Amino acid sequence: MTMIATPPWICRVCLSRLVRQAIGRPTRFYANATKAAPNSVPRALVERARTIAAEHRQLTAQLSDGFNARAAKQAGATAPVVSALQTWDKASEAVAELTALIHDPGSDPELRELAADDLDATRAELANASHGLVTALVPVHPFAHLPCLLEIRPGAGGSEAAIFAGDLLRMYQSFCNRTGFRATLLKYENINGTQEAGIPLAEAVLEIDQENAYSVFRCEAGVHRVQRVPATEKQGRTHTSAASVHVLPSLNENAAADENYDDPESDYYIDPKEVRLEVMRASGAGGQHVNKTESAVRLTHIPTTTAVSMQDSRSQPKNKEKAWALLRARIAQLRREKRDEEMVAMRRSVVGVAKMGRGDKVRTYNWNQQRVTDHRSGITVHHLDDMMEGGQTLEQVMESVRSWLMEKDLEALIADEEADTKK
Amino acid sequence: MPRLPTSLLRRAYALDPYLPALLGPCRDLCAAQNELRWLREHVDGVAEKRRARGGTLARAALLRELVGKRARGMPLQYILGTEWFGEVEIRCRKGVLIPRQDTAASISHLVRFLRDAPNLPSELRVLDLCTGTGCIPLLFAHDFYDASSRPDLRILGVDVSEKALELAAHNLERTRKAQASVAKGNISFLQADILLNPFADQTEGPPSLKTALNLKRMPQFWDILISNPPYISPKEYWKTTTRSVRGFEPKLALVPPPDAAGTDTEQGDAFYRPLLTIAQDVEAKIVLLEIADLDQALRVGRRVREMDIYDGIEIWCDQPDAHPNTAAEDPASDSEFPIFGTGNARTVLCHRGQGTQWLQRTPSPHAPTSTPADTTEDCAHISHDGLEPSFDKTLLHAGDGRPFHERTLKSRKEPVDWEHWTGKPANAAAPWYTKEPRLGRR
Repeated sequence: MTMIATPPWICRVCLSRLVRQAIGRPTRFYANATKAAPNSVPRALVERARTIAAEHRQLTAQLSDGFNARAAKQAGATAPVVSALQTWDKASEAVAELTALIHDPGSDPELRELAADDLDATRAELANASHGLVTALVPVHPFAHLPCLLEIRPGAGGSEAAIFAGDLLRMYQSFCNRTGFRATLLKYENINGTQEAGIPLAEAVLEIDQENAYSVFRCEAGVHRVQRVPATEKQGRTHTSAASVHVLPSLNENAAADENYDDPESDYYIDPKEVRLEVMRASGAGGQHVNKTESAVRLTHIPTTTAVSMQDSRSQPKNKEKAWALLRARIAQLRREKRDEEMVAMRRSVVGVAKMGRGDKVRTYNWNQQRVTDHRSGITVHHLDDMMEGGQTLEQVMESVRSWLMEKDLEALIADEEADTKK
Repeated sequence: MPRLPTSLLRRAYALDPYLPALLGPCRDLCAAQNELRWLREHVDGVAEKRRARGGTLARAALLRELVGKRARGMPLQYILGTEWFGEVEIRCRKGVLIPRQDTAASISHLVRFLRDAPNLPSELRVLDLCTGTGCIPLLFAHDFYDASSRPDLRILGVDVSEKALELAAHNLERTRKAQASVAKGNISFLQADILLNPFADQTEGPPSLKTALNLKRMPQFWDILISNPPYISPKEYWKTTTRSVRGFEPKLALVPPPDAAGTDTEQGDAFYRPLLTIAQDVEAKIVLLEIADLDQALRVGRRVREMDIYDGIEIWCDQPDAHPNTAAEDPASDSEFPIFGTGNARTVLCHRGQGTQWLQRTPSPHAPTSTPADTTEDCAHISHDGLEPSFDKTLLHAGDGRPFHERTLKSRKEPVDWEHWTGKPANAAAPWYTKEPRLGRR
């Protein structure tokens, strides 16, 4: 019996990256990825939306017969797509009608004029509807709702990189302060291995303990490159250094629920039927014939063959109790490790660990030009000071990266859909 | 007993110089290590108390002395002074049987049933015969009151030994202080000799159970009868008991008193017939009797079946709550009585009437259709209210020359086959209750 809820699907980003790695194409972040015309939705996507809508209809019919938790959940998840599709259908129909009216030579000129007036508004509506449909279709990242951990480490560039890592940490901290995210510094270590501030940073882990934090900070993961004259430089040369930022979903949010032994969802839950209890007893006659002091108890969890034996106390019930506690802890640990392994595999696909050199940077901070360029979305901003204080500029950059991520997701989705239809 | 290999002794000595001495009684390195650890903890505890009173204690000397005692076979429970019986810590003293963990498992299992039982009376009465340290009443009350408020509980522990009763009273006080749950139950102890014929003239020694109950104005009717009587036959006593049991525990609690006429096995079973008769007299709805092994369990079970008043007879093993893991371990497959749990057969459980309901069992198909228990149910309830017990009336009319028990049994439809019980003609030797009253059984 596995307790770990595996997501029913893998996020598009992960998939597309996996595919890219498998093909072995040089990884490069494209600035300005294909920008689809705002009011056209690729045919593949529309088809996908229609299939989803059909599925949704089926599910609703099924739900009207009787409640089914899984079906209800699925129906709830697809509902936004269905409503977005409806709006889009309506808008595109209206546009088609209006265009037909305008191009129809037989129609009244006055009416045609009115239609032409209307067309602009309707077109805008359609654009909105298209955007809505596309957004609804892009699957939400499986960890998007989770709080996250932000890990900052200096990369290539020696102590200058460490200084820059410290700058980045301050940037994110002040960003969290400004935007109201609860951030706690889980770990702070400077290059001397102490926790003193003011010395170049060796490693910092910032926990952003708020729902949806992962979806906000996901775009920050990667190598941040800095180009400036370091404070340590005597001869005024410009150095290029890097610091890496890892953003990991934080999964310990249901720690309180773990303690509930009776909840089958909990890590600590063990079905008593799966446990074999052995009491060490002397062979031969028991009862009054012997006055044994043996109080050892051994529990074996049959599915995982985890065995726990306990003989501390002279009281057998106490030993049994302790053995159960220990067994629960061990099994929970096993389950957590297994889940963590899955998570690590997933995170590897989210943040390419190998791609942490200076070359694979996601963003460049250039002090000489007072410029920040994000190499993924291609945005360039010039308020470097505001950026480093975690101000509006950082938010702007992050927003642009998020929409770029969305586009990438969408692209992958379309490619996926087309591949499916070709088959 | 095989000699301990020198290599084992050497290994033990390398771990701790005290271990080789403890290997003698423990026979096992792991057990010896545990015992040594407990002894050390005990010595530390004693030293702590001594220091609190301003004295000093040579720990090493005390430990050496205790290890020496244990090496000579003295039970660890007597050395440390306590033993855990289920979740209750029971004080042990020389001259009283040490509580066994197997007994605790059966009692806890029974109480688990009763806690979920439907239609319990407003006061549940439990009679524990041969109570010894008083461990069974204390554990029963502890487990019964563990969860929530229950019907009132009245438990009476009976023993013949004054030493045991003293210790039981001490244990009761001790447990009441430590555990609030036990304080709620009405637990008392009483001295009586259950082997005595209630109709015999008696001038000295502990009275018979009936007489004692009457004297103390105790109720004559009890819902549940539990007993862990002496059940080892003399031959087995020399053959199967361990040295520390033989050398240090009271033979009174282990071997039934000698019966000149009986065989060895009969002497081992000597307590069950009077116990079953008492169970019938007090109209117990559930009877739980500890036994030595499967053979004895079957003998007792057959005896119960011949009484033909119980709706069901079961045999419980050392771990009555465990399910047999393999078919080979499951002795229930080809037994005449249902067997529950794993390990050696440990107790025989009989139930009838309401008791069957409490245990949520279905009466077996060949159960007596109209049990005498049913007919006497009503008067049992009347006497629960403190009216004159019906038993005494029959006592007054007991003048027809026949033994009381035989008469009551004969009054049932089917006569009892004495020959089957005793293996000898009914009139060949007088049954136990027609004998001279035993004065000192020691």
